[in-house]
Amino acid sequence: MAKILKKLAFLVAIVTALSSLLAGCSSDKSSSTTASAPKDKGVAMADYGVGKTFKATKPISFTTMYNDAAWYAFKKDWLLWSEITKRTNVTLKPTVVPMSDYAQKRSLLISSGDAPLIIPKTYPGQETPFVSSGAILPISDYVKYMPNFMDKVKKWNLQPEIDNLRQADGKYYVLPGLHEEVWPDYTLAVRTDIFEKNNIAIPKTWDEFEAALKKLKEIYPDVTPFSDRWSTSGSVSPLGALLQYAAPTFGTVGGWGTSNYVTFDQDKNKFVFAGASKEYKEMLTYFNGLIKEGLLDKESLSQSDDQAVQKFVNGKSFVISSNSQEIVTMRTSMDKTLGAGKYSIAKIDVPGGPKGNVIAGSRLENGIMISAKAKDDPNFKALLQFIDWFWYSDEGEELAKWGVEGTTYKKENGKRVLMPDINFLGLNPSGTKDLRVDYGFGTGSFAYGGTTDLLQSTMSEEEVKFQDSMHQNKKVLPVNPPYPMSATDQEQATLISTPLTDTVKQNTAKFILGTRPLSEWNAYVSELKAKGMDKYLDMVNKAYQDYQKKSK
Amino acid sequence: MKETVQYKIFKVINVLILLLVIYVTLFPFLNVVAQSFSGQAEINAGKVNLIPKGFNLTTYQTILHDKTFWTSYRNTIVYTVLGTVIAMVMTTTFAYVLSKKRLMGRKFFTSMAIFTMFFNGGLIPNYILIKNLGWTNTIWAIVIPGAISIFNMLIMKSFFEAMPEELEEAASIDGSSTYGTFLKIILPLSKPILATMVLFYAVGNWNSWFGAFLYLDQSDKFPVTLYLRNLLAGATSGQSAGATSADDLQQIGANIKAVTMVLTVLPILMVYPFVQKYFVSGIMLGSVKQ
Repeated sequence: MAKILKKLAFLVAIVTALSSLLAGCSSDKSSSTTASAPKDKGVAMADYGVGKTFKATKPISFTTMYNDAAWYAFKKDWLLWSEITKRTNVTLKPTVVPMSDYAQKRSLLISSGDAPLIIPKTYPGQETPFVSSGAILPISDYVKYMPNFMDKVKKWNLQPEIDNLRQADGKYYVLPGLHEEVWPDYTLAVRTDIFEKNNIAIPKTWDEFEAALKKLKEIYPDVTPFSDRWSTSGSVSPLGALLQYAAPTFGTVGGWGTSNYVTFDQDKNKFVFAGASKEYKEMLTYFNGLIKEGLLDKESLSQSDDQAVQKFVNGKSFVISSNSQEIVTMRTSMDKTLGAGKYSIAKIDVPGGPKGNVIAGSRLENGIMISAKAKDDPNFKALLQFIDWFWYSDEGEELAKWGVEGTTYKKENGKRVLMPDINFLGLNPSGTKDLRVDYGFGTGSFAYGGTTDLLQSTMSEEEVKFQDSMHQNKKVLPVNPPYPMSATDQEQATLISTPLTDTVKQNTAKFILGTRPLSEWNAYVSELKAKGMDKYLDMVNKAYQDYQKKSK
Repeated sequence: MKETVQYKIFKVINVLILLLVIYVTLFPFLNVVAQSFSGQAEINAGKVNLIPKGFNLTTYQTILHDKTFWTSYRNTIVYTVLGTVIAMVMTTTFAYVLSKKRLMGRKFFTSMAIFTMFFNGGLIPNYILIKNLGWTNTIWAIVIPGAISIFNMLIMKSFFEAMPEELEEAASIDGSSTYGTFLKIILPLSKPILATMVLFYAVGNWNSWFGAFLYLDQSDKFPVTLYLRNLLAGATSGQSAGATSADDLQQIGANIKAVTMVLTVLPILMVYPFVQKYFVSGIMLGSVKQ
C-alpha cells in the first residue's frame, strides 16, 4: 500500500507540474481591439429608433438564460414567449436555471464557454469576475446602437451612475436596469394604533423617534418597543436594513448600503473610510443609547427574522424594520394574532438625522450581460436592437411587466388595470389566473427598471403614498464617483478589505450593544489602521484619480 | 445474573440520554410535519411546535394538483430507478473482478479507482466532458456520472474477497462458467450487501440535485429535489444577492415549504424500515479483515 501511495504522489507531482506549465503558456486574451460595427445579415432594422417597435426582417432566435422562480415556475406555452415572437420576429430559446443557484450556473456556463447570448438578472458588480476572461461583451462599445438605452440615460441623467460600472479598462460589461428615480423600500414599520392611542406623533427625526420610544416605554414598562430584524439573514450585517437607511441621515454609510465602508467626501475630493469616521461613531452612539435605555431590544442583533417578526405580530414590540412586501405578510399574521381591525401598522418615512432629510441609493438595478461570442453572431446588430427594445423601450418594459393590452390588462383613464379574471401581487384578489404563473409577465427575469409611473403601477395605494412622500420630503444624495481597479489591484484590495469589513461589522455590533464601550473608539480606529485601512484608502483614491485623469 | 446498582444507574442515565437524542433528532422533522398541516398565519406567529394549529389540508391539495411538482416527481422516480440499476450492475461487476487475486493488473486497476476518490477534474472540465458527449439535457447526464461510487465498490470488493474460494472451485468443477458462478452462486449469497448498496444508491440518487442542476436546462426534466431546493433557497438567495425588486423577494409560505418537504422525503422514508436490517449488517462488512 505504501508503495502505491508513493507512486501516486509522484504521479500527482508530475501532473501538477505539467498543468502549471500549460497554464503559463495559455495566451492572454486582450480586448484592446477597437469595436467594429456589429455584424448584420440584413435582419436588423435600418431605421430603428426611439418610439419604434423592433421587428426583425426575418424570423430569428436568440438564446437566453432564464431565472426560474419556484412560485411561478417556467412554462413553455406562456403568452410571453409567443407575444415576443409575434411582435419582434424573435424566438427566445431559454436555458432554464433554478433561482436558488442561478449565480453558480451562470458562472459555470460562462467559464465553460457554453453561455447563452443573453444573460439577464445580473446585478452590477457580478460581472467583474468574468471581465478578465474576455467571455463577456464590453457593452459600452455598442450602446450607440441602442437608442432607447441612450435616451433614458440622458433623459434621467444616469451617466454618473453608469460610470460607476466601468472597469479598469474604462468599459462597462453589464447593461443595468434603469430607474427614473431612487426607489426607497426599506424603512421603519410602526404600530400606528398604539401611537395614536397614546397621542404620540409619528416621529420625523431620530431624536423624535427616541422620544417616542421613551414615551412608549413609560406607558408599557414591560415591553421593549423596538425589536429589529435583518441582522442574521441576507448578506449578514448587524442591523443591515436599519443602518442602511439610517446611515445617510447621519452623513455616512452602513449596513447593507455598503460593501467596503468607503465613501466619498465631496469637500476633500477623496474617499474616506466611513467605518472610522466621526459620523459613523455618532450613529453607533445613537443606537447604543437606544439599547442602554431599554428602547431597542438587545436581541435585535442576534435574533432570526422570524423571531423579530413574531415579537411584532404578537404585540411584544411596536416598531420593526420592514419593506412593502413584509408589511403585507405581517398584516396577515396579525389578523390571526391580534384580530383584524384591532391593530393598524404602516411604513413611516425614514426619520431625518443630523445631516437632514436625505436618502441614498442607486437607480441601477440588475440587468443584462451579453456573451462575447455574440459579436460573431451574424445577427449581432439585431440582437442589440432587440435587447434595447425589450428591456429599455417603454413598450417593451410595459410588455414585460403588464403583458398584452386587451388580453391581460386594459387602460382606464390612462391607468393600467388588470383584466377581471387576472390577479397580480394581490392587486385583483378576485382573479382566478395569475399574471406571472399563467402568462409569464411581471417576472424578475425580464421585468425591471422603467419609469416611476410603470414602477408604481403595480404598487398598492398605501405604498404609492409612501413613495410620494419620500420623494417629496427627502433629498437624494449624489452617488460616489467610480474608482475602477485592474484585476490584480482589485484582488489585492479585496485581500485588505475583507478583514477590514469584518472588523467594522463585529465592532459595530459590539459598540451598539455596549459590550465594547464607545470610549474605546480610538483603540478601534488604531485596529483598523493596523489592518491596512490607510493602504486600502490609498489604493481606492489612486484608482479614483487615475480614472479622473483618464476620462478627461 | 444480578444487576449491580451502578449498572442500574447507568441504564437509567443511558435511556435518558438516548431519549434526549431521539427528541433532538425527531423534533425538527415532526415540526415540519406539523407545519405542513398548519395555517400560514399560525406558523408566522410562532405557535406551531409538534401539534398542527389552524389545521388545513388546502396546501396539500394545491401542491398535489401542481403539474410541475408531479413532473419533477416522475423524473425523480425514473432517475432513481434507472440510476440505481445501472450503478448496481457497474459496481457489482467491477468489485467482483477486482476481488479476484488472479486478475492481471489488479493492483493497477484498484489504484486507478482509488485515485479518483481523492482527485477529480473539477466542475468545469466535468461539465465540458458531459457537454461534448452530447449528454446535456438527457437522462444519461444524471445516471451515468455517479454510476460507480468507489467507496461502495470497495465495500463490495472486501465482501467478495471474504467468500471462500472453494465455493467457486466446486462450481467450476461442476461445469459452471465464470458468469454462471457469478450470477448463480455469488450473487444469491451476497443479498445483504446488495440490499445495502441498493439502498445507498437509491437514497443518493433520490436526494441528489447537483448533477441535474448542472446538466439540465429544461425545467420539465428537473427532479423533485431541484424543485424543492428552488422553493426553499430561491427567496433567500435572491435577497443575499442584493435583490431590490420586491417581486423577487416574495416570501414562500413556510407551510408550502413544509408540505413539499414532507412529500419529497416520504417515499424514501418508507423504504428505509424494510432495508434497515441489511443496512446495519452491510455497513459493518469489511470493517474486520480476516
